[in-house]
Amino acid sequence: MSEVDMAVIKPEMMKSYIWLQTADGSIQQVEQEVAMFCPMICHEVIQKGMGSSKNYAISLPQRVNPAMLSLILDYCRFHQVPGRSNKERKSFDEKFIRMDTKRLCELTSAADSLQLKPLVDLTSRALARIIEGKSPEEIREIFHLPDDLTEEEKLEPLKNTTDDPRIRLLNRLYAKKRKELKERQKLKNIEVEEERVDDRSVDDLLSFINGDNGDSKGIKNSKSKKKNRRRKDQQKNTSANEAIKNHNKEPNGLNQVCCSAEVGQTVRAGVGATSNLHDVEDDIFDNKNELDDGDIDDEIDPALKEKIDREVEDFARRLNSDWPERMQEILSFGHERKPVHFSLNGNGSLRRYANSEQR
Amino acid sequence: MEITKVLPDDCISLIISLTSPRDACRMALLSHAFNSIADSNAVWQMFLPLDYIHIISNSSSPPSLLSLPKKDLYFTLCYHPILSHNGDMFQLEKESGKKWYMVGARALSIQWVDTPRHWTWISLPDSRFCRVAKLKNVGRLEIKGKVKLNTLSSNTNYEAYFVFKLVRDRYGFRHTPVELDVSIEGTAAGEVRSVILDPPRNMPQQAKERVDGWLEIEMGEFFNGFENDRTVEFSLREDHDDQPKRGLIVQGIELRPKHKNNR
Repeated sequence: MSEVDMAVIKPEMMKSYIWLQTADGSIQQVEQEVAMFCPMICHEVIQKGMGSSKNYAISLPQRVNPAMLSLILDYCRFHQVPGRSNKERKSFDEKFIRMDTKRLCELTSAADSLQLKPLVDLTSRALARIIEGKSPEEIREIFHLPDDLTEEEKLEPLKNTTDDPRIRLLNRLYAKKRKELKERQKLKNIEVEEERVDDRSVDDLLSFINGDNGDSKGIKNSKSKKKNRRRKDQQKNTSANEAIKNHNKEPNGLNQVCCSAEVGQTVRAGVGATSNLHDVEDDIFDNKNELDDGDIDDEIDPALKEKIDREVEDFARRLNSDWPERMQEILSFGHERKPVHFSLNGNGSLRRYANSEQR
Repeated sequence: MEITKVLPDDCISLIISLTSPRDACRMALLSHAFNSIADSNAVWQMFLPLDYIHIISNSSSPPSLLSLPKKDLYFTLCYHPILSHNGDMFQLEKESGKKWYMVGARALSIQWVDTPRHWTWISLPDSRFCRVAKLKNVGRLEIKGKVKLNTLSSNTNYEAYFVFKLVRDRYGFRHTPVELDVSIEGTAAGEVRSVILDPPRNMPQQAKERVDGWLEIEMGEFFNGFENDRTVEFSLREDHDDQPKRGLIVQGIELRPKHKNNR
């Protein structure tokens, strides 16, 4: 310390203080033994000689705002006293973490940046207790998470490194669901295509019938109404077949004439069909499906395959809307409590699984 | 405030690893960001037992298991028991990651087991171990086992089960109880339980049937604390009436974490 600094110190201030600066620019001084409880601050003082005066205040990481710093210092102030019993410390900790989730997260972040591990552990445990046992929707709400995994991503085939027949069953179900999703998508594409087709043929017809008069606007409006009706119908359906039926029931004669052939052809062609808009994606999907189905089906004879398909449908029916999450759970956690030997008796193991699902 | 913008990934990993394996699976479906964190090795390593590398290295399982992603390794260890070189079997309990442990008959001290007119070693397809011990004839029955506490999960209450079968032409177990005892070496002996392995039909059956078709009967329980350089000892004895006994098949002794809601 320089002579100037020595002159400024008043006798009653024989305690040493450390100067800290938060990212917003504000500077404060903190009792040395309290501040040094934080490894990051300790490091700055000892290795770099910082913090001894206002001009050499230690710049704290950005994640430490004044409010968090105040909380952290309260924590340090209590725990740095050596004489306290474990009971006292536990009691303090329990009261200390009583704050809302947002603050707990900020505090964890701030404590982490100061390398204050005991506080990080304390707040992390508190956060873990808050989220354990909750459903994905509840957790998303607590942490303001976007539900940004697409259905396809939630349906990623699960790696079956242990050749678990239940995982095979689930992957089969996922593959089916992906197919359904893809078919639904294809129908949406067909809709776009058939609108194009419609436009051309209606326009042609109009120009033929009306000789390019202003009637086209009116026709287009009624067409868009039909478009919306069709879209709504599609959203209600969960299977491609029902969607096709609705298409065919369209009261508009023009649509039927132009599109039923298109629809029939595209959907019947099934997996191999490609549409302009989703060419690459479909190919990747197809290859994935083929690989998975190939993997699953290569040792199973048709009769057993049918039984498995029925099991899969049954299984799918029993798991309603929140099935991706429940699926992950059931895959990993079934209802087994004891270790089970999976004998390669196909019927036996499948039946056992189905029974354990009936709760 | 979105949590992934406030907290760095390794903090989120820590929080997830403090929940449960089941929760971690759920959290992989929350969002893109959570998907990669919740499935990461950083999280699943925390669910594996501390000595998993040691266990796998000293077992008959291929060392390639160790190069699996930790989540896959976790579930492999849950569904496929590992046979260690000294004949014991490890498995993980899915919900908690705690160890299940089984001492096979070969690793138990069974009196007269190597004398062919008393005991014989046979193979049964529904047993986990390739050999189980079948009783031909003894007057005094004594089966003992011991396990080092540091091979088990610490801070856990364990229950010990004697896993056995009885063949059709058995005798000596219908009216004579056997004494079961579990105690940690160096501490006061736990309660000795007296049970009948083969009660007549009108008496309550104390042994329970397992999923693998064997019977199990609880021998006792013990708590594995943190200072675990001790051994826990198990014994099954019938040495009072000297009557001939026959037809008991011993698979081993299984140790499982105790659950309050079970039984």
